[in-house]
Amino acid sequence: MTAAENSLRPVSLRRDGDRLVIEWSDGFRGSISLTNLRAACPCAGCNEKRQAPPDPFRVLSDKELQAGVPMPVAMPARGSYAYQIVWNDGHDSGIYKLELLRELCESSPVQ
Amino acid sequence: MQPQQGFQKIALQGVRHIVAVASGKGGVGKSTVAANLALALQMNGRRVGLLDADIYGPSVPTMMGIGPVDPQTTPFPITKYGLKLMSIGFLPDAGRGVLLRGPMVAKYITMFLTQVDWGNLDVLLIDMPPGTGDAQLSIGQTVVVSGAVIVTTPQEVSVVDARKALNMFGELRVPVLGTIENMSYFVGDDGKRYEIFRHGGGNKLAQDNNVPFLGEIPIDPKVAECGDAGEPIVQRYPHNVVSKAYLQLAATLLQRLSERETPQELPAVQL
Repeated sequence: MTAAENSLRPVSLRRDGDRLVIEWSDGFRGSISLTNLRAACPCAGCNEKRQAPPDPFRVLSDKELQAGVPMPVAMPARGSYAYQIVWNDGHDSGIYKLELLRELCESSPVQ
Repeated sequence: MQPQQGFQKIALQGVRHIVAVASGKGGVGKSTVAANLALALQMNGRRVGLLDADIYGPSVPTMMGIGPVDPQTTPFPITKYGLKLMSIGFLPDAGRGVLLRGPMVAKYITMFLTQVDWGNLDVLLIDMPPGTGDAQLSIGQTVVVSGAVIVTTPQEVSVVDARKALNMFGELRVPVLGTIENMSYFVGDDGKRYEIFRHGGGNKLAQDNNVPFLGEIPIDPKVAECGDAGEPIVQRYPHNVVSKAYLQLAATLLQRLSERETPQELPAVQL
């Protein structure tokens, strides 16, 4: 990681409808859909699910059905390098590094 | 005192700088450096705390001469030699050894950071355990660390692991304030300098990673003698050559910290 990349940090983060909008210290503004953010959860459990072959017989659990659209209910900072997201389905083990948030943001710049 | 779960408000508002003392490798004298550096910082007129984050092998109780206490009657942190101190070794039965999985280590460290009333401090030093695992991650996730100092002995086998610690702090976005070469040399009665464990590993580590080299600490049998007696060498023999090296190191570290702004927390998310 270069020094410039390491110094890049968010200056504001806010939810706008079904997206998370992040403004960065280099002036870039980008947004991430909450569905994509949930799908990119970097925790070990979600990583394993992503790598597993798709299960055509998978049935959504009651909890997943009740949760509806993924929605963060809390997003505390973790030290200087990440945010933890607590989702409305109770999932809370994903620690999203700033580099991951930036990467997810870059595909959807906001004017 | 039992670890609690969930989000907790960090009780460190009165702490200006949190500095991690780390190495990656065990046995390089991290705890000795942390204890003596804490005292040297205090002798430079600063209010200093020392948190022993080594849950499996706490050294602060022995080095500071404090045995287990009754947590019902003794408030934490414990003050000795003017330092505020916290270690799992202060808790009863800690001497029997602690068999804990990573999540419990993380909970204890979070508890020491968030439930101990550190009050107003200029510097809180964290004596990190060896390795790059749960304890290090917990600290990196719980608090905003101003910087880390990396301790190594001169030889390559230590430098290799110190480099891993340095990379870990990069991942955690914790600035590395510099490297320290411990056990750097020995000055014999003949006044000659003997480089027992070779020389230059700390400086090389600093140069290779473009971070400052903070200094070298000589080896002296008095260091171990004082540590075992519960009175670190900087406290017992402040005019010893080793103590002078620590005082110089403390001044250099304070200079590095003064050149940096107090670290900012990441912004809160508006949900």
